[in-house]
Amino acid sequence: MIKQAAALCLVMAAPHAVAAMDYRIETLVTGLEHPWSLAFLPDGGMLVTERVGRLRLIDAQGQLQAEPLAGLPEMFTAAQAGLMEVALDPDFARNQRIFLTYAYGTLEANNTRLASARLVDGRLEDVRVLFSAQPAKAGASHYGGRLAFLADATLVLTLGDAFDLREEAQNPANHLGKLVRLNRDGSVPADNPLRGQPGAAPEVYSLGHRNVQGIVFDAQQRRLYSHEHGPRGGDELNLIEPGLNYGWPLVSYGVDYTGARISPYQELPGLQPPLLHWTPSVAPASLTQYTGTLFAQWQGDLFAATLAERSVRRIRLHDGKLAGEEVLFEELESRIRDVRNGPDGALYLLTDSAEGQLLRVVPSE
Amino acid sequence: MRISLLFRPFLAAVLLATVLGSLLQTHLNLAVLQAHGIAVPVTVRLHTSGLDLLGFGPTLAALVATAFLVALPLALWLLRGRDALGWPLFALAGALSLLAALAVANALAPMPTLIAANRTLAGTLGLMACASAGGLLFYALLRPTRGRVA
Repeated sequence: MIKQAAALCLVMAAPHAVAAMDYRIETLVTGLEHPWSLAFLPDGGMLVTERVGRLRLIDAQGQLQAEPLAGLPEMFTAAQAGLMEVALDPDFARNQRIFLTYAYGTLEANNTRLASARLVDGRLEDVRVLFSAQPAKAGASHYGGRLAFLADATLVLTLGDAFDLREEAQNPANHLGKLVRLNRDGSVPADNPLRGQPGAAPEVYSLGHRNVQGIVFDAQQRRLYSHEHGPRGGDELNLIEPGLNYGWPLVSYGVDYTGARISPYQELPGLQPPLLHWTPSVAPASLTQYTGTLFAQWQGDLFAATLAERSVRRIRLHDGKLAGEEVLFEELESRIRDVRNGPDGALYLLTDSAEGQLLRVVPSE
Repeated sequence: MRISLLFRPFLAAVLLATVLGSLLQTHLNLAVLQAHGIAVPVTVRLHTSGLDLLGFGPTLAALVATAFLVALPLALWLLRGRDALGWPLFALAGALSLLAALAVANALAPMPTLIAANRTLAGTLGLMACASAGGLLFYALLRPTRGRVA
């Protein structure tokens, strides 16, 4: 059954340029347990991950298959740990390969892992572990886990700082608090920025991050954007350049959950400032760029799903520059885990709960 | 037993442990910046200390007060007839009660470690030392009135 909700979205951040747009939100699938990531198959079907460790198939008719896909690798599930991203290989039509990110290990020693597999007749085959973030750490917090493909078809994987090891985000020798760039077979690209630098992990693409759960490559402008969770306040949207340091925890617009200052500095020379920061925190969990045609006004804009604010932030771009923000879909009163730019021009959302939903946003007419 | 006589020493003990603990937390965080070659002038140090006392102090005070509410009366009860053990007993009561409170807080909080200073052995021992100072102050303030209290 399709529920429809008409809503009006208002431009919040540009008081002199109020625009209004009607949309409706359709519920496509219910009963997903903490869905995390959505990928569109060429036949019109979709893959959805559930953090608890299931990969679900929604067929081209929009029906959720009762049985999860078989063949998933062993993974660690607890709190924030579990199955995270699913993404199709840019060459999926030829090789049927998909990428998955998930937590590996145990509560005492775990981190983020990237694997690829072939999707064959509704199951995974030829599962290959491509990358395991090091070092393994204790606890079940801050895994990052999002993927983006660059113009050269290499991939950038986002990671987290493990919470307790935040200072390691400044240590180029490991993967904590980093973005890493890999070839699709898991090998390290020859032109990675720190490759060959003594004491640096060759996979590192940028450093000084906290928990990066959103990344998107703007193919037209050739820009890589990511957002990350700050502590209390200080969520950031960043423009990623290879080899640069984004400052965590030496600079931050946020404070610790206890109210303690993590750093007295918000910006320092040599550390990249964010394009924008959200204080108080909105908890950004996914980032996409709208390239469809159903919503002409949204063309080229970034959309960030938020957990704490229970919204999607539309970040308007004009000639590659920030041009204001709007807060959308607050009427859902739901934590939004994922936002995707659908091949049909609609915007797709995953709500985060034990009874999570897949929603589709289309024009109201 | 006049419980009201315990009130001011208790408040003073919580206050001292909180102020010392907050300062410790501030300067451990600032030490990380310095280790990365970032200058921390005295004015920044003082300003950050003040902000932490206001921003972080209440959280730590709640934790310390909860710990001391159990530990200090217990230490007082254990002390009966063993005056020679007073100083070490209250030092230990302060330290161990905060350690226990941190463990409970970490078990209940969604993050692995609630208070950043508690992430390392040195920081944890430092926080325990601050709580010890609170326990000792409690005993010092209580000594002249002990005959009336217990």
